[in-house]
Amino acid sequence: MSALAARSRLSPFARAPALADWLILTAIILVAVVAAFPLAWMVLTSLKTPAETMATPPVWIPAAPSLDAYREVAAVVQAGRSFLNSAIIATVTTAGILLTSLLAGFAFAKYKFRGRDILFAVVIATMFLPPIVTLIPLYRLVGYLRIDGGLMGVIAPNLANAFGIFLMRQFIRGVPEDLIDAARMDGASELRIVFLIVAPSVTPAIAALALFAFVYHWNSYLWPLTVLEGHTENYPIVISLSRLLSYNRGAMNTNLVMAGATLAVLPPLILFAFLQRFFVDSVVSTGIRG
Amino acid sequence: MGALVARRPLIVMLSPALSLLGVFVAAPMALTVWLSFQEWSTETGFGEARFVGLDNFRAIFGPTSVGRDFMGALVNTGLYTLGSVAVILPLSVALGLLVYQRRVRGGVTLRTILFSTYMTPMIAVALVWSKLYSPTEGPINEMLDWVGLPPGRWLSSPDTALGSIVILNVWQQVGYFTVLAVAGLTQIPATLHEAATLDGADPIRRFAFVTLPLMRRTLLFSAVIAVINAVQVFEPVALITEGGPVGSTNVLTYHIRRVGIERSQGGLGSSMAVTLMLALIVMIVALFALARRVEDDAE
Repeated sequence: MSALAARSRLSPFARAPALADWLILTAIILVAVVAAFPLAWMVLTSLKTPAETMATPPVWIPAAPSLDAYREVAAVVQAGRSFLNSAIIATVTTAGILLTSLLAGFAFAKYKFRGRDILFAVVIATMFLPPIVTLIPLYRLVGYLRIDGGLMGVIAPNLANAFGIFLMRQFIRGVPEDLIDAARMDGASELRIVFLIVAPSVTPAIAALALFAFVYHWNSYLWPLTVLEGHTENYPIVISLSRLLSYNRGAMNTNLVMAGATLAVLPPLILFAFLQRFFVDSVVSTGIRG
Repeated sequence: MGALVARRPLIVMLSPALSLLGVFVAAPMALTVWLSFQEWSTETGFGEARFVGLDNFRAIFGPTSVGRDFMGALVNTGLYTLGSVAVILPLSVALGLLVYQRRVRGGVTLRTILFSTYMTPMIAVALVWSKLYSPTEGPINEMLDWVGLPPGRWLSSPDTALGSIVILNVWQQVGYFTVLAVAGLTQIPATLHEAATLDGADPIRRFAFVTLPLMRRTLLFSAVIAVINAVQVFEPVALITEGGPVGSTNVLTYHIRRVGIERSQGGLGSSMAVTLMLALIVMIVALFALARRVEDDAE
């Protein structure tokens, strides 16, 4: 009890009357319901019959939940192929980001060289560049490189990013110099030091970056849509999903669209469920230090 | 950290990241600026570009349909950004307090639910909300009916479409900003609250004179990120409203892509991209200036 009281003093609500407890609880429940409702509606609708999705007033709970919509989605948009494309795009991009960020983050954190701080500032500035600003020339550029229309065209421009370099540099700065110097004395090469000494000491940051990169590139829409235009066999799931909508126009199959949306949402949410701690920690640390 | 490092390891460490950023970020950025002064079709090579001076900028700020469409998109993006930031910042602090408080359990669960919407692909968010907003068979109007409110037209009316997209954007993003707000709250020393309490400050005063001033750095960071995220809105517009009804949701990312990629007017689109970039820089500098003034007043 005394521990509870001590902790509650940290809160700006401290020492308000007990009524406040009920108000807080009500607010938490209300916010949770509002936040969870759209996703719940999505799953429920995916289990409805087409007639139920069009009913007025709306049907909340399907009378006879059915997985038919999921079977049909798989047929309409080559869901398997799209899932594989999404997995390849997200995994390869993430691996690239980890590698380039770890190396560059190490150099910015532990090497002293002329122009380092200016160079780092320029890299960081690109973090604030909205993708649309470079979209038009980038579209032409991947055409020159002959990687447009394919998965490589989606992946290549994203293999390095400023956020990853920033995050790695922040965490690698905390790795003790002695540890690195000792390895140098033993004759370890710089690359060995990065992979065998530095990387293991910043595992939480690497996990956070991997998860952020994977979810971001699984969800990303604007660039794949632009570079893959018309190459439906290479579409990731989020773009195949938008084709479901045009297939949907004028027809009664909202349940199909919701089944597709549910499938696309699952991988990021499952990852998040298992690794929530890393996500939250890295947001907190970039927020505070940034 | 003694002497300058040898050249070879430096090149090994930096060249992968810097060459990729050079080719795929710096070069396109420079090309965007260069193309904004050219007449150029996106279908052709860069060599086909023809210098036209400020013609593109005259066109996008001129009285023709090109200018009207662009100015419309600029205004819509400005309104959308303002709306998003104005809702997200206070909401993230309020939700942050709910997550951070320890009087009642459930804060951490709430954080999980809020952050999971942030993990959801925007495309799925757009699809789901387009159904939630449906004027006849959508659940939102049904719920309004329960409490005796008239149905909304949401995405189908030019008066409410942009605001409806702000709402779905806030729903998707607020979890991220809540986590940032919690981080800011964690930084406030407990002793300050205790001192204020001893001085007889009630909870509202403690919030106004202790919590809020000490969160200004967090709020500045949140505002900058929220602005940058807001100008990127694309999926709900591309997928659901296609810029309509009557141009009311035509935002810059959608408009620039339509002009520069779909209509292949690369020079014109680039001049719009440069304008967006400049507007964004002005906005962020203004935010920092505002934060500095608040800081000076506080002292």
